Amino acid sequence: MPPENKPPSSPWFPALLSLFIPGSGQFILKERSRGFVLFLTVIILLSLIAWTRAFVLLVPMVFLFFWSARDAYRLAKGRQPGWGAALLLAGLVLYGTAIVVTEVRPTRLITGLPNVQPYLRSLFNPDLFEQPTEEITGVAPIMVPCVDPLPAPNREASTDHILIPEAPCTEVGNLLHITGEGFAPNESGQMQWIDPLGTPRRATLDGQVVVFTADENGRFETALTVPQAVPLTAQPAPGETLTHAVRAVQSIPSGRLQPTQTLSLVWEKIGETIALAFLATVMGVIFAVPVSFLAARNLMGGNAVTLAIYNIVRAILNIIRSIETLMWAIIFAVWVGLGPFAGTLALWFHTVAALAKLYSEAIESIDPGPIEAIRATGANWPQMVVYAVLPQILPTFTSFTLYRFDINVRLSTVIGLVSDAGLGFLVVQWVRLNRFSAMATAIIAIIIVVAVLDLASGWLRERIIQGKPIISSKNPVVRAAIKLMIVVAFLATFAWSWQVAKINLVELVTGAPKGLALAREFATPDLFTRPTESRAISTPLTVPCGAAESTIPADPDITLSVDCGDPGDPVVITGTNLPPNRTVSIRWVMPDGAFLRVKSNCCDTDGDGNVTLDAAINPIMVVEEGQTEPGRVEITYEEIVGGWQVTETVRTVIRLSIVTLLMALLATTIGALFAIPLSFLAARNIMGDSPIGRTTYYGLRTAFNIARSIEPLILVLVAATWVGAGPFAGVLALALNNIPNLGKLFSESIEEIDPGPVEAVTASGATRMQSLVYAIVPQIIPPFLAFIIYQWDINIRMSTVIGFVGGGGIGQQFRIWVSLNQYGAAATAILAIVIMVWTMDYLSAKARERLV
Amino acid sequence: MLQIKNLTKVFPTGTVALNNVSFEVHDGEYLAVIGLSGSGKSTLLRCINRLIDPTSGEVIWNEHNITSASGAELRRMRRQIGMIFQHFNLVKRSSVMTNVLSGRLGYVHPVWSLFGRFSAADRQRAMAALERVGIADKADNRADQLSGGQQQRVGIARALMQEPQLLLADEPVASLDPVLSHSILRYLELLNQQDGITVLCSLHFLDLVHRYATRVVGLKGGELVFDGLPSELTPEKFKEVYGEEAEMVQVAPPHAA
Repeated sequence: MPPENKPPSSPWFPALLSLFIPGSGQFILKERSRGFVLFLTVIILLSLIAWTRAFVLLVPMVFLFFWSARDAYRLAKGRQPGWGAALLLAGLVLYGTAIVVTEVRPTRLITGLPNVQPYLRSLFNPDLFEQPTEEITGVAPIMVPCVDPLPAPNREASTDHILIPEAPCTEVGNLLHITGEGFAPNESGQMQWIDPLGTPRRATLDGQVVVFTADENGRFETALTVPQAVPLTAQPAPGETLTHAVRAVQSIPSGRLQPTQTLSLVWEKIGETIALAFLATVMGVIFAVPVSFLAARNLMGGNAVTLAIYNIVRAILNIIRSIETLMWAIIFAVWVGLGPFAGTLALWFHTVAALAKLYSEAIESIDPGPIEAIRATGANWPQMVVYAVLPQILPTFTSFTLYRFDINVRLSTVIGLVSDAGLGFLVVQWVRLNRFSAMATAIIAIIIVVAVLDLASGWLRERIIQGKPIISSKNPVVRAAIKLMIVVAFLATFAWSWQVAKINLVELVTGAPKGLALAREFATPDLFTRPTESRAISTPLTVPCGAAESTIPADPDITLSVDCGDPGDPVVITGTNLPPNRTVSIRWVMPDGAFLRVKSNCCDTDGDGNVTLDAAINPIMVVEEGQTEPGRVEITYEEIVGGWQVTETVRTVIRLSIVTLLMALLATTIGALFAIPLSFLAARNIMGDSPIGRTTYYGLRTAFNIARSIEPLILVLVAATWVGAGPFAGVLALALNNIPNLGKLFSESIEEIDPGPVEAVTASGATRMQSLVYAIVPQIIPPFLAFIIYQWDINIRMSTVIGFVGGGGIGQQFRIWVSLNQYGAAATAILAIVIMVWTMDYLSAKARERLV
Repeated sequence: MLQIKNLTKVFPTGTVALNNVSFEVHDGEYLAVIGLSGSGKSTLLRCINRLIDPTSGEVIWNEHNITSASGAELRRMRRQIGMIFQHFNLVKRSSVMTNVLSGRLGYVHPVWSLFGRFSAADRQRAMAALERVGIADKADNRADQLSGGQQQRVGIARALMQEPQLLLADEPVASLDPVLSHSILRYLELLNQQDGITVLCSLHFLDLVHRYATRVVGLKGGELVFDGLPSELTPEKFKEVYGEEAEMVQVAPPHAA
């Protein structure tokens, strides 16, 4: 029976339809959006399976088709089915492909463990101070072998620390007793044997290194086996002897502890880190304030012109913000060269965009009431700004600025991964050199710098938000003095930062051509291309006249003004019937295939496809002895052989964008899965006041804060050694950062729940687990989801740059393209990133709306 | 019978919330607890079902010592004592049905209940409780979609699920407007008279006390300053409980609704 004869009311028809085309049954049942979402999901999942070739995932897909049919059936029966099973199946396929694409190999977590052990161990053993030591040595000559008469040794014995061998001479293999006097009391030392050439080696006794300890008078006795200390070829002649020596060395600590070289380097880079963040923030504020006025809708909404400016400024700010600071650092490094300056520019650029957006939102949310009120008193415009607008926006502006300063400090700890500025640079260098203790010092410095500046800005922010005075003194003189000191300190810090960041505005100008070339490339990303094939036409040229003539005929479309000539003689090269308005190459080609361009950057054909070039015959064209064939003049050009298609670059970028998205997905999921149980243990109201509860709470919170202050970009260095470079390392690093990050946010939202329902459920006689499930879990689901979405947004951005240092994804390819000067391809990657970030931001904003 | 013996609660901050309070509540009474905010009413009610552990003193419920009970024994006692709250204490994002069913948690299997499994009997009981408070049609709504008065009725229905012999009501009408106050207190009166549930209710308004309570205890600064019939609560006694500056305020009587 043909299906159209069936009445649509039969539940079997839409069910059958949905079995073959998921969503179609739902669609004809007027559940349009349900059907559409289902259809789209199935298409996306099938393409992912086809791409990853993980065909085992077709099994859950088949179930999904059956679910679709059942869903349509139930809809037709008038029921309101949920999404549960479909979500589970789709999630299975999605995570399955994500695991395949990001090359997650959990076994490597175990097998790679030995690789990370040095990192972990070194964290408890940073390279901070060293004890300077003083060496006390005593030397005594000894002749080997014994001869008669014994000549005088050609070596002096030491006089202040005395060594006395039991005899002036001895034989190889003998036991030699030695007494020492005048050494450092109660300190141990080592015995050395010095051969006639003066080379020391450790002295041994029965194969054991000889170690002595002086008594309280600085005396000791020891013994050693006389070694075969002379090469067999240089043995003394019979009857002759050579001067060897024994030496006792005590290495004793002296003077005060001194910082190691590592520590002084770290100290210097701490300064650089703070300077970069400070400078970028201050400069960022200076530029962001005027821009924010242009980006505030309530100020710019007046007429079409200002509204257009508003929209353009907003769009530019959004583009700048969606590209990570580290990407900007790479781009600026092309412009002004590697170094702190490029890093500062990148930080500054991103700061301007981020702050201008936050500021403009603050301006948009001001209360018009006070403005009206101040106006009504007869105040003029500046008075209105000072009394009605500034008081409203200043606290928010300051708070946002401090918040951005915190971010900039974190960012300047990692900007060194792509330039040579800040602590991140040291971490990368020392990881590559396997200098783990030094690396640990740098990482601990990062943790401290981030924590201290977080605390400082947190204190300041709280004061500002609560409206407390920053200067507590009431004495006007003291207040003025403190204010002056703050201003002076600020200016001094600024000047110092300017110095440290090696700001060189001249480079902005001298680098401008490179910057402009870059901008041009970025304006024309590699999107589409037409396949071409190389074509060549050639004609022989005999040099000198009378040499061997060609047996290969000339192409009719290329002619020369002469058939032969001497090097240096003029020749006019003419090509005809070529593709019009195209760049062609003209070159001298020798019979062995070697060639030389006639003139570089040559030459364009005219509208009729002709090209003419005046040249001088090149000496390479001379026919050498034994050659039977002269060289030729060749015109090569590219001929288009097909229609437009997307470039290989675009395909790579799309593939890597999906990898990047899936990396972010996996990292967010893993982070949340681990953070959820931990967050309960880190919530004050869950853990209670028992000693165990308090210890767990404080311990976990501290651990969260420490772990959070290490950026994922630093973590990926460790992750890459752990599981090998690639997307898996990126996922691991992001997840390691997400666990403490989400853990903190989750536990804070658990602490904020309404205790009422818990009380009510407990009062009814419920157990702790029951009150958790019935009173706490329903309350924390919305904030948890909101934080997961927030982390997802951050992860998308992070995973675009995590590849710079071995984390896979699109960042890795971007960096390769930039280093190969393939800026067109790099621009395509940036375009993809902007699109990806915008799409995901939009989707998560939608998801967040539905949560509220 | 509920016996409160020498109950004292000192908070870690040093605040003495209850100071040597002793009284008895007989089965079937509708006892009002009055006093200023901070006089210890809430602490007293929460010490009875041990939401707060008293510092010293005893609470004896039908010969069982609640103050010394713990674990499963304490939970068994708690499930006989229902409680309703000033701010209703509903899980706002859960459905009305789930909120009501959560009153049954002390009876059901401690593990199965974690997966939202309740017996058909419990579901019927929950529907019956909702019908009794007049909001059966809201069973599938989210709790935060209901008005304040409706939310408090959900709170009563939840307490009914415990099949309580004693109902503690902590200022059940302080967040509601006067008309709704009467309707809520009438439900409590109904439970008191029809089901014989003893009610212990802290109240602010004297006319509500006169209208509903069978007995009154007054707290001031954590001490018991009045114990008697509502009719014995003269304006002088009232000033003794509430302080010299207090005035008796009228709340709209039920017929005004």
